[in-house]
Order: sequence, then C-alpha cells, then structure tokens
Amino acid sequence: MRIRMTMAMLALLGFAGISAAKDTKAVFKTAEAKHFTGAEGVELSPAFYDYFYAELRSELTKSKLVSEVIGEGEAVDDADAEKSVIITGTVTEYKKGSAVKSALIGFGAGLRSLKMDADVVRRSDKQDLSVFHVHVKVDPRWNEKTMAKFAAQQIAKDMKKEFGEKK
Amino acid sequence: MQLTSRLKGNLFLGALVCAMQARAFADEPKPKPENTVSVHLAEPVAPQKFEHAPKFWITEAVDRSGNAQPMLVLKSRGGIFLDRQPTVIVREYLEESLKSGNLLAADSNSADLAIRVYLFHFGLAEGSGLDFFGKVEFTAIVKNPKTGETAEVKASGTSIAKGAARKKNVQKNVQEDLEESLKDAARNFLRGQQLKEAVGLLWKGGDTVPGADAKP
Repeated sequence: MRIRMTMAMLALLGFAGISAAKDTKAVFKTAEAKHFTGAEGVELSPAFYDYFYAELRSELTKSKLVSEVIGEGEAVDDADAEKSVIITGTVTEYKKGSAVKSALIGFGAGLRSLKMDADVVRRSDKQDLSVFHVHVKVDPRWNEKTMAKFAAQQIAKDMKKEFGEKK
Repeated sequence: MQLTSRLKGNLFLGALVCAMQARAFADEPKPKPENTVSVHLAEPVAPQKFEHAPKFWITEAVDRSGNAQPMLVLKSRGGIFLDRQPTVIVREYLEESLKSGNLLAADSNSADLAIRVYLFHFGLAEGSGLDFFGKVEFTAIVKNPKTGETAEVKASGTSIAKGAARKKNVQKNVQEDLEESLKDAARNFLRGQQLKEAVGLLWKGGDTVPGADAKP
C-alpha cells in the first residue's frame, strides 16, 4: 500500500514537472496591455481600470506566455514587433448586483456581473489575433476590484489556451 | 439631585470622548527603524537609444500628490514608512538610470534637456484587499533650456504583490511592491514613445542656434 502511494506521488510530481516545463515557453516577445475603456452606461471608477491594468499585467507575467510585459506607450524594437502583441479592451456591461436578492433568492440571483471584450492584436501589422469575451460574476458584497482580478485571470487563462496550444 | 446625576452623566461622557481621542492619537503610527522601509533598486533601467543622444538633467522633483504624509505608505498594522521623501527616491532612481545609459549631464549648465518631475502618486493604491497594489505616477516636463520649448511626458508604473498575514512579510511585500512599481514607472518613462517624441521635437542633435530660436 505504501509503495503504491509513493509511486502515485512520484507520478504526480512527474506530471507537475512536465506541466511546469510546458508553462515556461514564451510565445510572444513583448505584450503591451492598454488601459481598458468603458462602454456608454458602464459606471466603474477610474481606479477600477487602473487596478485591472495592473492585474492584467501581473497575470500575463505569471502566465509566462510573454517574455516581457511592457507598460503602456513603451517603445519596442522593430525586430521584436512581429512577435509582440497589444491588448486592448472595453468593459461592455457592469451590473452592481443586489445583496438583498443574493441573500433572499440565492441561486446566482443578485450577483455583481461584469462583461468585457479583450482584443489581442499583433504590433507590427495591427492584425487581430483573437478576441476574448469575459464574463465575471461575484458576490455583491465583494469589492468591485475583486472582479478585476478574476477578469484578468480569465483573460490570461484564455490567452494561454488560445496561443499556447497554437504553438 | 436630578441635576447632579445629569452632570455626572455628562462628565462621564466627556471623559469617555477624551479617552477615545487619546487612544486614537496613540494609534497614529509613528516612524521607527522597525517600520521603515528603504526603497532602493540595485539595477537601474536601461534607457532607450536616441538617434542624437542628448544629455539630461533633472532640475527638480515636485510632490503633487496632495498627500499630507507622503512618507507613510501603510497606515494599518502599526504603519509602514519610507526612509526618504518619494520625490527624492524617484529623482535618484531616474538619475541613476540616465547615468547608466550615459544620458546624464555633469551639471545643469551642460545639459541639453532639463527635466522637471511632478510626482502624482507614490505608494500603495486601493486594491482588491487580497493583495497590495503599488502605483507610481508622474509627469515630466522636458525643456530645452536654449529654446525654452517644453514637452510633457507622462509615466506610470504598477505592481501587484501578494498579501501577507505576518507584519514582517507585509513589510517585505510592500517594499518589493514599491520597488517594482518604481522600476516600472522609470522604464515607462525612459523607454516610452512619449519621451522619444519629446526628444525628437526639442533636440536636433546640437544643430540648434543659441539665441536665434528663443521663443518670446
């Protein structure tokens, strides 16, 4: 029994090692995340967009999909432009949610919700590489910036899925 | 008799308010060696390459944050303080970075372009509560002292550091967060397209004729 457990543990560690090695491949040289904008009627504070920008950059760095995550408006060498991307996006919908509905009804009612579209374009020729639609729902009592964190994680995850597999 | 009890009640309330005030004053964090962090980056940021590399000089760094306590980074957990003014930290780091790229003038007189930094934010900003959100934001006014022409360059740097429970770890994470956001802001400034355009506009590689181009 003990030997089996040890073997299983070793196998798990082996898989973890393989997946970690797979994660370290960078697909793009640089990625520039721009501040997202809000569509008409979206009532989110400028601090939200600031925080989301920071979170997105942090998540992109963590994903290791990109060699270097650069700041907004930074210059990139012409040689690297072809393997560089720019991420722009818009928050299309934001619903504050209702703590009362959430507590009384439950089952997802009254949740705070955020929808955003993120476009990934190649820096050299501005070609659209992919568009991601993100929908995040959180408890209405949570800080709106928690949504930014989850949305950034979702975008990084989707990008990894899209471009990591293509590679 | 009734008056006396009312007076007693009022006195008791007054004493309670005074005690609470005194306690609130005592809770106000004060800078001590154990709650002070030193933001200093070992590696400067390599600036971008310019066609006609000018020599810069930072004339001044002005605090425009409107923060009454710019050295207080975190108020909770006994407070975390900076060892120097944020303007001094930013100025020093920019100078070090310019020096590393051989773009720093020896003095203000020999500088081709003068930079005045207006610091709008240095420290932690409101985040999700699960982590620390470091932010450094400044605007630099780049000026050609010979012509008097100026250009504005905005720069910002952000960083997210994980939260911590122990005070020692909080201090460590906050310090790393500040250093990372400062580095990010400096890189954003020195490698930014805006600085490139400003230099292209203000500096033509020493072919400017002094005196003839001064604007009224």
